[in-house]
Amino acid sequence: MPKLILDGEEIEVAQGTTVLAAALSRGREIPRYCWHPGLSVAGNCRMCLVEVEKSPKLVIACATQVADRMVVRTETDRVKKARAAMMEFFLINHPLDCPICDQAGECRLQEYAVEHGAGRSRFVETKLALSKAVDIGPHVLLDQERCIQCSRCVRFCGEVTGTSELAFMSRGERTVIGIYPGRPLDNAYSGNVVDICPVGALTLKEFRFETRVWYLRNTPSVCAACARGCNVLVAVGQQQVLMTTPGQTDDRVKRIVPRTNEEVNGHWMCDEGRLSYRRLSVAPRLATAESPAGSPAEWDDAIASAAALLGDAAAAGRLAAILSPRLTAEDLYAWRRLIEALGGGRASVRRIARGEDDALLIRADKGANSEGAAWILGEAATEAEVLDAAVRGEVAALLVAGDPLDPGDTAALDPAVRSRVASVVFVGPFLSGAAEGADVRLPAAAWAEEDGSFVNFDGRVQRVRRCHPPRGEGRPGWRVACDLAAAAKAEMPQWTSADEVLAALAASVERFRGLDAATIGLLGVSRG
Amino acid sequence: MERILTRNVDKEGSDTLAVYEAGGGYEALRGALRSGSPEKVVDEVKKSGLRGRGGAGFPTGLKWSFMPKDSPKPRYLICNADESEPGTFKDRVLLEKDPHLVLEGCLISAYAMGARAAFIYIRGEYVLASRILERAIEEAYAKRYAGRNVLGSGFDCDLILHVGAGAYICGEETSLMSSLEGNRGYPRLKPPFPAQAGLWGCPTTINNVETLANVPFIVERGASWFLSIGKPPKNTGPKLYALSGHVKRPGVYEAPLGLALRELIRDLGGGMLRDDRPLKAVIPGGSSVPVLTADECDVDLDFDSLAAKGSMLGSAGVIVMDSSTCMVKAIERVAHFYAHESCGQCTPCREGCGWMERILSRIERGEGRQEDMDLLLDVSSNILGNTICPLGDAAAMPVASFVTKFRPEFQHHVTHKKCRV
Repeated sequence: MPKLILDGEEIEVAQGTTVLAAALSRGREIPRYCWHPGLSVAGNCRMCLVEVEKSPKLVIACATQVADRMVVRTETDRVKKARAAMMEFFLINHPLDCPICDQAGECRLQEYAVEHGAGRSRFVETKLALSKAVDIGPHVLLDQERCIQCSRCVRFCGEVTGTSELAFMSRGERTVIGIYPGRPLDNAYSGNVVDICPVGALTLKEFRFETRVWYLRNTPSVCAACARGCNVLVAVGQQQVLMTTPGQTDDRVKRIVPRTNEEVNGHWMCDEGRLSYRRLSVAPRLATAESPAGSPAEWDDAIASAAALLGDAAAAGRLAAILSPRLTAEDLYAWRRLIEALGGGRASVRRIARGEDDALLIRADKGANSEGAAWILGEAATEAEVLDAAVRGEVAALLVAGDPLDPGDTAALDPAVRSRVASVVFVGPFLSGAAEGADVRLPAAAWAEEDGSFVNFDGRVQRVRRCHPPRGEGRPGWRVACDLAAAAKAEMPQWTSADEVLAALAASVERFRGLDAATIGLLGVSRG
Repeated sequence: MERILTRNVDKEGSDTLAVYEAGGGYEALRGALRSGSPEKVVDEVKKSGLRGRGGAGFPTGLKWSFMPKDSPKPRYLICNADESEPGTFKDRVLLEKDPHLVLEGCLISAYAMGARAAFIYIRGEYVLASRILERAIEEAYAKRYAGRNVLGSGFDCDLILHVGAGAYICGEETSLMSSLEGNRGYPRLKPPFPAQAGLWGCPTTINNVETLANVPFIVERGASWFLSIGKPPKNTGPKLYALSGHVKRPGVYEAPLGLALRELIRDLGGGMLRDDRPLKAVIPGGSSVPVLTADECDVDLDFDSLAAKGSMLGSAGVIVMDSSTCMVKAIERVAHFYAHESCGQCTPCREGCGWMERILSRIERGEGRQEDMDLLLDVSSNILGNTICPLGDAAAMPVASFVTKFRPEFQHHVTHKKCRV
């Protein structure tokens, strides 16, 4: 295996490793714009120029393969001068409109200008004027003046989605990124170009001017929009609540971006997942416990009513439940335990399927935890079987644990069903579907409001995280189950944290054995 | 000297097969095929000392020997006819006046390398030459000089003419291949070199028109004959010089490689355009090479003599400037060309070329600042050697040489806000 001597440090690398990859593997930084781990090497930004002994010219670290005993220096005066020169070149025609640019605060131009720039420009000519806020697709806007032509977005559309909507147009310093007439950037993964744009040239319409990024708090979590379970960073910011007391603020998810996990989603995520958070803010929420529906009730009173309805039905052997496949493993396990503790019932998990699996990430199964539900509930009844039983009059009380992400995925109960079921207890974050006409409504935490675990289609157990507190009186589903058990005087542990539920789950369900938050970690554990 | 490359160009109907054959045309191809030994052709070209006539002067035989022998992929030859360097119009004479010489050169070279096809990439502005080549290719196919089973030898070689869309950058070999493949004409990173992964990822050799035109003569007359012309061992063979600027008879002249620059101007070019305007400067190898002052013009026009003077033979486009030339205006025009032709792929060239042009036009307008000369030198040095392809160097070198060698003229523009010429 070839050995590289990088600024005096000897590094042994596999044949074919580039100087940049070798440096990064040792935690050493070489500045770069165009190189991206998920894309081909373009070598156009020239920011990673380094000195190689016996090479008359500087070479680009991203494209130079390590040869044995290659001596590379990354911090010589010559290298530093080249970097400062590149920074000056990048900025001569750049508008420097950081105060109104969404990228400010997470912009490579800003970062490298501070680190590697000369701190001033010698450019006194008129800057080029190009087009700003060009609408290139349903989610993405292009600012041609900010663009540094690194070609990451072009390569993404060519290599990852294979749709090639973006291309370079024109020549020389007037080179711009653009789309072809009538062919917008509308592939299912278009938002990724915004993430990989190292500057503010590509911005997401849904995030534009929403907040300054330094006000955001990022939490590593897992997307709930389909069974892939893309690893994400959930950014939470504060939202002024305009219609209430001035100055009152509210935590809101402002943005979701993919988090690299080579085993699950690589560097990418789909637009549907990326924008799935928006419903959390706009859909009508169930803020307080209600018993009967529409009448706010004290939490304990509502719990007592619901416990009585569910308990009586269970005693009569006529309890059934419909659970969302987006509930965490902890929630699902708690509901299973509650139903068992009450004396048993028919528990079913909804199946949400739309479209088809694509070649990249998107799964037709939209249940982020469908696999986990199968592990926890075993051969559970299907939703249709439960509904059929209800129509036959075999269900006295129906527990519906609603969808924590998409209110549209909590089905409304058909009048034929509703009329034959004596009572419905609804637990969920949204006022939707089965919540209509429920006898008792108990608010639950939505996705991003509680900790827990998902199992993706591939059998990978991953951590989904609480990014901000639940809205209103919402509580984690497992907590609601515990409250109901206590009120029904049923035999069930009174867990106080999701970790405790997971410990119980790990002790009880084989596929989860030995798992805890630390073991699952940031990238999950495969149990498939 | 006997005219070699241009021996046919003055004949009536020199672009037709009949005239070419009457002068012994395609005999070299016939001979090479009859010998049945491609290696012999490569050896002969290696021994001849032929160096690439496109600009870099790389030994042709050595370049050919880089083609892998054991690749399962088809091999290709490309004839680079994208002659676009300002001041350069030597290939045009061959393409328009003796197209079959170029084709024969392509076919013999393709045979030497086992290339299945020879692509001729011609610049879009060469409309006449394209039409002539098209007809010549048809003629060659009709007489079985090209296509399947060339002259019954079992050797297959197609000739494919591709007309470019008028981008200077497409004369750069990797950019040319991108363009030929139907993509944007962007240069590629090297390695891999064309011989490893060229056109459509296949082993490819790319040679200039004039380089290939030399091949039939080397095959026919032998390497030792070729070595006797010019300045052996490293600067051999006949050479076309494209002479332009302030001379009485601009044009394309053939002479042995290593012709003295003053001889070219005086004897072949008929001397300076006006007797009262003495020589001021010469760009000896197309607009991209460092300029020579009048004092530096006692030099032979070959690869090594010009390199020793800090310039290059390049494409042998010799641009002569007399005392009436404003050097600021001249380099502004050159800088404009490179800013316009920079493909925009990599940062230093994309941004730097436009910047240099704007500084130069400001000086030319009388708005120069004292610091602009040093700034130009620094910007050009920040481009030089830091780009993907040689276009950045081509833009930077002339600017640096003009500012360095004619600094007082730039200073005059800055100080007096006007030209002194």
